[in-house]
Amino acid sequence: MKDNKSRDDELPSIPKLDKAIHEPARLMIMAHLFVVESAGFLFLQRQTQMTPGNLSAHLSKLEDAGYVEITKEFIERKPHTALALTKKGRDAFKQYRRDIKQIADRLPE
Amino acid sequence: MAEKIDLKEIERKAYTSYHQDGLIDISISIIVLTFGTMMVLDMAWMGGIFAVIGISIYAAAKKTLTVPRIGFVKFASYRVKAMQAIVIEVLSLFMLLGVVAFMQSEGGGTPSWLLFAFENHMLVIGVSVAVSFCAAGYTFRIRRMYAYALLTLTMFVTGHFLNYPLHYYLISLGTLILLFGLAMLIRFISRYPLSTTGSTGDSGNEGQ
Repeated sequence: MKDNKSRDDELPSIPKLDKAIHEPARLMIMAHLFVVESAGFLFLQRQTQMTPGNLSAHLSKLEDAGYVEITKEFIERKPHTALALTKKGRDAFKQYRRDIKQIADRLPE
Repeated sequence: MAEKIDLKEIERKAYTSYHQDGLIDISISIIVLTFGTMMVLDMAWMGGIFAVIGISIYAAAKKTLTVPRIGFVKFASYRVKAMQAIVIEVLSLFMLLGVVAFMQSEGGGTPSWLLFAFENHMLVIGVSVAVSFCAAGYTFRIRRMYAYALLTLTMFVTGHFLNYPLHYYLISLGTLILLFGLAMLIRFISRYPLSTTGSTGDSGNEGQ
């Protein structure tokens, strides 16, 4: 126990990862939305190869976190769902990447 | 995990998938083919007009064929601006070619640099078009544009030495690109059929 405690003291502080992003599916969604200005639901589904239900569920969580803006509108009488990262979402994703890199850099070889 | 996410690769795949329909290839081929055809008809000055038509066809076909099948995407604005610069450059190039062809048909008063360009017009046009393809490939991250650039250079450098009329090469190049574009379009339509329910699949309500 003493050894464990001394090892814990020696461990560098690890940044807390954003749990809203730190999930493979949501991370993939964030990454795909990060590289575009906005995308439709179908386009994002094609890119991430997720099922519609799965994608909807994860988008809802990201929307609740304030990272994704979901806009539903009718264009020429057809429903369109536009998805885009909010500024908060873009900043959060950049921070997440920095945090992950920091953790990875500190891991022993 | 995030380190393995290559954002550039994700962006490239987004561009590639959005342009896998072959429509950009078909539009380019229409522009090249019509310019070549107009040269045969001695109306090369009209080539620039068909560039506008080609772009209009592209926009309409994208909306009708592609978006209902794979959804829509709005790429980053800096890329849109780069795309606009490319379009303006291509249109200017064709207008310039039209002016050169018109001056040729008038038969006099041409500056020496223009005469030099005219005497080596195959090389000038080939390099210009190849550079445009490369620029498009770099901007839109569509790798096959580089292949088109190489094809263009090969054809026009060969044409410079073989001395066949310019329109032969434009029509040949346009035909090859058109065939490839049509093949891509057929494959795209078979891979992404429209939903039989009539929905665009873009309502975002699936699974809810």
